[in-house]
Amino acid sequence: MTSPATSPDIVSPTIYLQGIPHREFSEIMAHPGLLWHPYQDGGFWVVSRHADTKTVSKQPKLFSSAVGHTNLWDLEADALEARRSIIDTDAPDHTRLRRLVSKAFTPRNINLWENVTREIACELLDDFRHAGGGDWVSMVAAPLPIRVILSVLGVPVSDADYLVELSNYLVEGTTDQPSLAADAFGNTTDLHLLPFGSPASHALFEYGERLGAKRKSDPKDDVVTQLVMAEEDGNRLSAAEYRNLFHVLVFAGNETTRTAIAHGAMAFSEFPDQWKRLESDGAISAPAVEELLRWATPVLHMRRTATDDTELSGTPVARGDKVVMWYPAANRDPAVYDHPFDFDVRRETNLHFSFGGGGPHFCLGAFLARMEIRILLEEMLSRKLALRQVGAADRVASNFIHGILSVEMEVM
Amino acid sequence: MTDQMRLRVDAGLCIGVGQCELLEPKIFRVDDDTGTSTIVSAPILPSRRAEALVDQCPSGAIQIDPDVSPTPATPPDTD
Repeated sequence: MTSPATSPDIVSPTIYLQGIPHREFSEIMAHPGLLWHPYQDGGFWVVSRHADTKTVSKQPKLFSSAVGHTNLWDLEADALEARRSIIDTDAPDHTRLRRLVSKAFTPRNINLWENVTREIACELLDDFRHAGGGDWVSMVAAPLPIRVILSVLGVPVSDADYLVELSNYLVEGTTDQPSLAADAFGNTTDLHLLPFGSPASHALFEYGERLGAKRKSDPKDDVVTQLVMAEEDGNRLSAAEYRNLFHVLVFAGNETTRTAIAHGAMAFSEFPDQWKRLESDGAISAPAVEELLRWATPVLHMRRTATDDTELSGTPVARGDKVVMWYPAANRDPAVYDHPFDFDVRRETNLHFSFGGGGPHFCLGAFLARMEIRILLEEMLSRKLALRQVGAADRVASNFIHGILSVEMEVM
Repeated sequence: MTDQMRLRVDAGLCIGVGQCELLEPKIFRVDDDTGTSTIVSAPILPSRRAEALVDQCPSGAIQIDPDVSPTPATPPDTD
């Protein structure tokens, strides 16, 4: 067998300091079949096209999330066990975990949080305007989603700053240069057993356990109480599963939407005509929210592992091969999108994969994120708050999170 | 091709995302107790909408029911 054609480098974290390597992704997509990307001792197939991403996502038995983990590298058996979460499980474990939390995140139940979200958005935007602008991330993009997700979960909103700090360290855990000492936050657990290899995960676990213990003795009508009650039941949720689920809900529930809101502001600054379009429409339509999500693509990839020999786009994929879906590529696939590099708030039929490729791991918080973004844009519109970016954004050197650490915006 | 299709929910696969309730709220409702989708009125839709729904259900729980032929046959499209 001839060796497969090799992909250009899309994994070196520092590449992402300049933004997504779109030129490389276009090159990869234009190549017939799949390209092989060397990585550590092995490598993975680069899944870049919209259609291939969907094929992989919609066949969770053939393309497992549980084998080896969803990272580019395989976790050791003890780490897989310790870190097992809703992200890296297959049915039936995934189904059981998902159902424990799904009802809080259905469109109907998310709508109930609209007023709370609007109140938070108004406060943050008023402060931002009175300050005459500033760092959009720390002043608006970060505080909005953390306060909303904490409200939805039943976590005290007064702890938002601490949990954002932990989230920042977790994002840093996806880069080459985490700054925390191994024993930070009193951590004694071996780092490879912690999500993102970060002591901040230990702190988030501890926080979740303390809160869980409180809810056990003094139950409330909230998600955390439902989870600890499921844990009490014995066979519905183990202690480790509770820890990891709490971790995912808090981290993914704030970091990804924060990233979307940061990129959204940058996009409207780069394409001021699109903000004018919203102003002339006088309302925030669903296509505007979806386009912002497509543009932002907060999570850059997820990996699956083939459980059988198969093929994708004509390329044979062997059992045990890693296949990695790169969502920024699929979200700009010219086979699906006209003018994919235009930010167009009136774009119709926008089936982007910023919430995943449409399989069972479809983002739990998708409707929450959409609602938060819509309300934020509505309140910006009602304040005529047009933004202009000042200088370059400070980006995260990560091939996993499309993160923005800070970006200065002035009010027009 | 029939222009209407009957849908069903495979409760074993459903993970309660709510995409079905969002797209077809008259037919589907995610039950707050079980966390899975339930059918609340006749699950019959024009083919195009039925297929879009099947496509957009993340878990594959919404399926075309092949055993049940839907409403009486209608004349084929001539355009």
